[in-house]
Amino acid sequence: MNTSHLLIIAVFLPFVGAGLIGVVAPFGRNAVRVTALVVTLLTLACVLVLVAGFPSDGQVGSGFAVTDLSWLGAESALDIRFHIGLDGLGLWMFALSAILMVTSVLVSWEAIKSSESLCYAMLLLLEAGCLGVFVARDIILFYIFFEFTLIPLFFLIGIWGSEQRQYAAWKFFVYTLAGSLLTFLSLLAIVIWNYQTSGRLVFSMPELTAALAASPIQPVGWQLVIFLGLFAGFAIKVPLFPFHTWLPLAHVQAPTAGSVILAGILLKIGTYGFVRFNIAMLPDATAMLMPAMLWLAVLGIIYGALVALAQKDIKRLVAYSSVSHLGYCMLGLFALNRLAVQGGTLQMVNHGISTGALFALVGMLYERYHTREISQLGGLARRVPRLAFFMLVFTFSSIGLPGLNGFAGEFLILIGTFQRAWFDQPAVHPEQLRLISVLAVSGVVLGAWYMLWMVQRVFFGPLREPERVKSEPDIRDLGWRESLALAPLAVLVVWIGLQPGFFLRRMTPALDAASVAATKSLETEYGDGTRNAHVIQPAVAERNAIGGN
Amino acid sequence: MWSWVNIGDAQTRPDTEPNHADQHLDQKWPFRIDVTLRIDALTCIMLTMVTLISSLVAVFSIGYMHADRGYWRFFAYIGLFVFSMTMLVSVSNFMLLFVFWEAVGVCSYLLIGFWYEKPSAAAAGKKAFLVNRVGDFGFMLGIFLIWTTYGTLNYHDTPISEEGPAAVTVGHLGAVAVPGVLGATRIESNDYQGGGIGLAICLLLLLGACGKSAQFPLHVWLPDAMEGPSPVSALIHAATMVTAGVYMIARCTPLFSASSDGQLVVAAVGGFTALFAGLIAMTQFDLKRVLAYSTISQLGYMFLALGTGTLAGISAGMFHLFTHAFFKALLFLGAGSVMHAMGNVIDMRQFGGLRKRMPYTFWTFLIGCVALSGIAPLSGFWSKDAIVASVHSKAHLLEVEWAQRQRGSAEASRSGEEAAGHQVHSASVSTEAGPLMSDAQLARAASGYQWLYYMAMFTGLLTAFYTFRAVYLTFFGPEVIPPEAGGHAHESPPVMVWPLVVLAVFAAAIGLILDQSWLNGTNPFAEFLGKTPSLTGAVAATETLGAFHFTVAAVSMLLALAGLFLATYLYLGDRRAVRALKSLMDFRSLTRMSDAEVLARLGHWRWIQVVDHAAARIGLHWLVSLIGQIVTLLMLVIGAPLLLGRFVSPYRLSYGKFFVDQIYSILIILPLHGFAAVCNAVDRWVVDGTVNLVGRLPRMFGNLMRGMQTGLIQFYALAMVLGVLVLLLAVDQQLSGPISQFLNQFLSGGGGVGP
Repeated sequence: MNTSHLLIIAVFLPFVGAGLIGVVAPFGRNAVRVTALVVTLLTLACVLVLVAGFPSDGQVGSGFAVTDLSWLGAESALDIRFHIGLDGLGLWMFALSAILMVTSVLVSWEAIKSSESLCYAMLLLLEAGCLGVFVARDIILFYIFFEFTLIPLFFLIGIWGSEQRQYAAWKFFVYTLAGSLLTFLSLLAIVIWNYQTSGRLVFSMPELTAALAASPIQPVGWQLVIFLGLFAGFAIKVPLFPFHTWLPLAHVQAPTAGSVILAGILLKIGTYGFVRFNIAMLPDATAMLMPAMLWLAVLGIIYGALVALAQKDIKRLVAYSSVSHLGYCMLGLFALNRLAVQGGTLQMVNHGISTGALFALVGMLYERYHTREISQLGGLARRVPRLAFFMLVFTFSSIGLPGLNGFAGEFLILIGTFQRAWFDQPAVHPEQLRLISVLAVSGVVLGAWYMLWMVQRVFFGPLREPERVKSEPDIRDLGWRESLALAPLAVLVVWIGLQPGFFLRRMTPALDAASVAATKSLETEYGDGTRNAHVIQPAVAERNAIGGN
Repeated sequence: MWSWVNIGDAQTRPDTEPNHADQHLDQKWPFRIDVTLRIDALTCIMLTMVTLISSLVAVFSIGYMHADRGYWRFFAYIGLFVFSMTMLVSVSNFMLLFVFWEAVGVCSYLLIGFWYEKPSAAAAGKKAFLVNRVGDFGFMLGIFLIWTTYGTLNYHDTPISEEGPAAVTVGHLGAVAVPGVLGATRIESNDYQGGGIGLAICLLLLLGACGKSAQFPLHVWLPDAMEGPSPVSALIHAATMVTAGVYMIARCTPLFSASSDGQLVVAAVGGFTALFAGLIAMTQFDLKRVLAYSTISQLGYMFLALGTGTLAGISAGMFHLFTHAFFKALLFLGAGSVMHAMGNVIDMRQFGGLRKRMPYTFWTFLIGCVALSGIAPLSGFWSKDAIVASVHSKAHLLEVEWAQRQRGSAEASRSGEEAAGHQVHSASVSTEAGPLMSDAQLARAASGYQWLYYMAMFTGLLTAFYTFRAVYLTFFGPEVIPPEAGGHAHESPPVMVWPLVVLAVFAAAIGLILDQSWLNGTNPFAEFLGKTPSLTGAVAATETLGAFHFTVAAVSMLLALAGLFLATYLYLGDRRAVRALKSLMDFRSLTRMSDAEVLARLGHWRWIQVVDHAAARIGLHWLVSLIGQIVTLLMLVIGAPLLLGRFVSPYRLSYGKFFVDQIYSILIILPLHGFAAVCNAVDRWVVDGTVNLVGRLPRMFGNLMRGMQTGLIQFYALAMVLGVLVLLLAVDQQLSGPISQFLNQFLSGGGGVGP
């Protein structure tokens, strides 16, 4: 079995699993959740094999584990293809999706008490969507997976959520859908523009990227329009300040598993889309809008942190911390500096791990106390020491403690942004960029502030617990199941923190390829006609990439 | 070791034109962080100190923590700390320095909050971490600036595979390498950035050092950190971690040498903090807090010494770091021993006269105090004297140079070659006193160091005073034992006493052993330290070593003794004088002037009554009462500012720690929380409100077309999709795109032939 088959299996296994759950549903609750666990574990096994086989220097040439099948038939004018494959950009998010799915099945184990079979089926469908998004290499296929992830999550929030679940689910669905329709239009516009110039109707993302990087859409006005169309969908998805208000609501109302997936993976589809499409395919618009994007990012960092500081509900606090952290990702990606882009991409993974785990922990806390109010809890480190330990680890990871993963991403992002602002020539809008690069560092202080404040209030100090009904069981510490759900994430936190090079090496070439055109455009002042003097042919780029090492 | 990260040394960007102008920084300068260690004299000194103190503290903790339920947790944290601290002083890279800088910070956070059930301990841990983060904000920016300025974060010259614009052939490696920030290549050629960027690097690094070493204005966390167990205070918050800032500045000496203003700022921060903390320490009643402020003060001394930038100054600073580690660890462990016996009571008003009950603790504590006070021949004397002497000679050097330069410029202007002569002259002189300075800088520095010298001298007096005040309050006077002590008010077990004894021996002897300049002019410590590559190169021959300043030593010794005698006079005996001094310093008599009762009593004075009656008899009653009212008014007007004196009298300022915590809480913390609340409200009502409003627009629009409103979501979805398709087709048609072609083909029955 070669890697291509394995990739197809990994993507479709959850689909099959969802069907299987329908079959085993009559055998009761246990059968359902064991099936779900086994399916996610098998998927994870496939994914890990794939990741292990990925070239360690990230040089994959035309792709890794590629499957390229005609979908509507090769003779059709609309040559939409079933084209999937792994590359350095999607690799770690792909892997993280599989890992977090196991975690979410494990955290749902006791928490879901009604119509389990439907819930686990939804989770598996969601997994299929998430895995698909990160491997799709055809624009239409990407969009299908992109939108497909909405549906299971809509039901997860709407059915198994808290009190305001329906409002939250609708808001989440309508808001993101409204944005992504514009995204769809923009994606089609890209295809059509390419058709105009090359006369070939291509939906393949690698081909389009190469073509548009070599000869960007002219006039630049069109690029800006398309950029903004893509922005509508991705910025809401990320969510970039000020398009974030659906997020805290959705998080607070969603069941734990939903929050884990939402924070861990779905938000990253937005940042992933920005790299894949905006930066890679619209280099001039990216370069022109870079200061604006950086401002939004840095505002998000500070604003998210400040609002998090004012929260009374742990889950809302973590949700706003996501706004802040995604600001870091966006800052890194749009700083268009090699270090920053790598840091931004690594930070996507880091945030997925640490925030996913934090949401899982908040869920575990809620299962025990049925409250998430910070003021009602206190001194829990004595009552649930293992939970407190994990909380502390992921808090440290989240505030970017060196030696843990958050630092690796943050440091690269900040140093790269700083370099872009103070050194790289010619700097555009240098004063603004310099201000941004310094402001961004202040997020390091604020981030530590709200997280440690929460930890201090909830886990330290004298014991404070809400009053419980007598019939309820005693509060117990994390069991095997819950510890196992968190342990792999804790291992990853330390591993990425100690050896980020291992993870970065595998994605460097893909990121370089994605950001080179935009960087060049920035440094030649938006490709003012001199571009044609040094057109970057995709073939040459690829050859260099292979021979470069 | 392994590479933490390695971006871009072998990998080149796909670029068809290699000679194109827009070369990228990362192409020229690979961002490569290898975990490399280096050992030189400076590291050796730090390693010796850290490992020695931590072993002794660990032994002490066996006894101190024996009944604690977090016994294993404590030693796990200590182990983590010792690892991080030894790595901190051994790594050869700024980023890794930062990594372990934070790692020791987190150990400190965990250990301060070790008894996390105490709200004050949990809050103190958080405070320490956050204040340090503020410092790290500066440190990180400093590192970034070093990166963009020097193109590497390594201390050492790093061999790389290809020759690039930033890489040069390095002789001693015989290979192409990127010159490290503190590497031999750069030091030999003294290739350091001065000017604005150099100053900025210095100040940013200094901010980081201020956070970790608790210098003003980031000193507020250290006194609170005393909530941790006493061995932690001894190890982390006195001897090792807080000296990381001093180590870092000593390590970066070449960077600081490039900016004389930067050095002056370091010295000023140090000198001011030393004085400031000394003033606070005089009135505190918590034994550990007295020691904490004393630590801040002594760290200030070290900064002051490093700020001179001369080899004598740096070796004095490091020497003080070394001796201070022993006697301060000793004092904290002694305080821990007292606390252990007193049932965790640490307020000196609640115990006293313990010298009979705890003889070993008393004698070792006393040795530590004598050392701290700077009384010969114990270790503190030698190191503190070296610092004061180095500041003195720096000031002297600068003054001589200033005088020379004035004379020189006068001559030059006379001879008519003003500009040229001036330049030549100043260049030739400035080689003696480090970096090139302008006239204004030189004048500023000369007077600055002179003032710092006086401040340092005065602080010596304060040090002796507050140290012996603590001794007298704790060990002398009538025996008082708090009820919390129960029946345990006795000497600590041997496992705790022995480390005290060992430390006391060190505190007493190392000064004499390591500094023999008074005897035969040799100074083994300074000579050893001078072998550090980054010190030999950058500070080469700024001053001859080993000059022992007898005058300076005598003055500082006299001042220390004066402090000692003052403390003895005030605190050994019935302490009436203390109360008198306290009320004097509290402006008691002055504030009484504005007291309404005093004024009322004034009206009943006999003489005033007599005058009043006499005046009434001759019909001038109104005049007297007018005068009385005016006098009263005047006294109130004069008294009102004195009322303020109730809050800002010298005593209250010192006792209230100059209200720095309160000022921060009013100026920074409360506004930030307020701003956070405002942001939260804005988020809820403005940002989300707008979204909801936009969300409602379609419905309002829909109300206009009620007929179409079926209420079925599918209908809306269908309409949406149709709308999109129509739009798409319109665009497509406009551009005669593929869909219209496809449709045309399809409708005409051709089908299937792609464009």
